Amino acid sequence: MASLLARGLSQLKSKEMRDYLTSTVSNKIFDLLKFANWGLPLAALADLKKDPEIISPKMTVALCFYSMLFMRFALQVKPKNRLLFACHFANECAQLMQLARFLNHKYGTPKPMKQYQVPSDLVQSK
Amino acid sequence: MFILSDVYRMLIGIGDRVLSTSMKKAVKWDHPAGPKYVHFWSPVMKSSLVMAGIGDLMRPAEKLSLNQSISLAATGLIWSRYCMVIIPKNYFLGLVNFALGLTGLQQLIRIAHYHHTHPKELTKN
Repeated sequence: MASLLARGLSQLKSKEMRDYLTSTVSNKIFDLLKFANWGLPLAALADLKKDPEIISPKMTVALCFYSMLFMRFALQVKPKNRLLFACHFANECAQLMQLARFLNHKYGTPKPMKQYQVPSDLVQSK
Repeated sequence: MFILSDVYRMLIGIGDRVLSTSMKKAVKWDHPAGPKYVHFWSPVMKSSLVMAGIGDLMRPAEKLSLNQSISLAATGLIWSRYCMVIIPKNYFLGLVNFALGLTGLQQLIRIAHYHHTHPKELTKN
């Protein structure tokens, strides 16, 4: 695992990668733009630890529907765009988590959940 | 999801039969970026994000999420540049993404203004 990471990082730092990033190949923008949509799920994951006050319900619900539709869109276009699918799947999960936190914060009760007690007649004590 | 596909196909079939040729030309029914093809519907979905962003104008500035604003502004502006170079040129998508970039920018500016006018408060974002 460590050697895999080391090899991956060394490939990122190699001369070919640096040449590619500083070149002006016309199709480079398309290759880099495939990662443009990853900002949204990463932002939502970074916001998971913060105060639920900053969650905006309209934006979260809109992003849930948007990601659902784009997951289907990514698999229906030819050629299948699995990177886009993965990005929107991650975004959907992150937005649903944020929605749950928001609903809990706004409408949930401050009391903790009750522990489920096993009824004593079910437990057979020896 | 399958039900929605059938509803969509039924509506397109009705449109093909009911609309006259001149009406179809006016509405651009057969254009490669028109309502019969998938390139049309993705900006429709993205415009829902823009409307959510406009609806957020009423929120107080301390309750905006900095990370989300940055990512919305970045993805909107990058995509609006990208839309002008792909084939077929999709001006609708470009407009919607530009509006999304502007929405993200206005949220960022509001957060910056709030931080500037309340320098000592420990804010949540």
